[in-house]
Amino acid sequence: MSFDIHTVIADMGSAVKNTVEDNWDEARSVTIQFLQNRKERIALMAQLRISGELSKEKFKRRLEDEKLILEAELNALAVISKAIAQNAANAAIGVLEKAVKAATGTVL
Amino acid sequence: MKSLNRNTAKTGLFLFISLIFLFSCRVTLLPEYNAEISKNIENTAKLVDKFYLLMSETTSEENSGRSYDRFAEMYVEIEVEINSLLNQNKIRPLNENSTRICEITLELWQKYKEEHKTDNTLSNGLIRLNRKVFADLFFAMQVAEEGNKLVNNPPE
Repeated sequence: MSFDIHTVIADMGSAVKNTVEDNWDEARSVTIQFLQNRKERIALMAQLRISGELSKEKFKRRLEDEKLILEAELNALAVISKAIAQNAANAAIGVLEKAVKAATGTVL
Repeated sequence: MKSLNRNTAKTGLFLFISLIFLFSCRVTLLPEYNAEISKNIENTAKLVDKFYLLMSETTSEENSGRSYDRFAEMYVEIEVEINSLLNQNKIRPLNENSTRICEITLELWQKYKEEHKTDNTLSNGLIRLNRKVFADLFFAMQVAEEGNKLVNNPPE
């Protein structure tokens, strides 16, 4: 029965790192898309303000709405972050589980 | 020798208890991906897109062509769909992020509907802006639902 806690912790760290790296591109591309969408909305709002289609009051209200849209986008990013965290935590638990199984020779 | 056996037994017991815990220990932060909700988000997004495109392409502000009454039925139909999405999200456990996105979408839908009702018209520019706002919100909604798909199956 061998159970080297230092090796297991190092392996758990590697599992977390690999999982986060695997999912990082998804979070990155979505963030870039959200920023691009925001840029397009603000540009359109500015254009409508200049042309007079948006009054000063409406323009202010639309800027307030932008806060809500940002909140929605942050909630979407939170889901991706949680997915990464869940995968990372379960990968680490998986490594620990495997090490304990190997040490005890138990078949679950 | 006796002490060595006792230590081995203790380690064995520790590992055995760890196994019992690990067997049932999985971190769950998100609900499972739901293909039906994903489809409903797509369909509602298309409905909203069609609503604004039709308004833009087939009507004009002249002669009260965009008075609220002409679009009231569609506003209601779409609000029903967004409400339904909100309810589908609300009943899922661990789903507060998607629920909040739906609440914001509904809040802005009702707000812009009221704006149209008050002004009794909608300019081409505002149609473009509203269409963009909802396209972006439904995109965020879809990102959140697809995010649930990122969750790997726990290791066997």
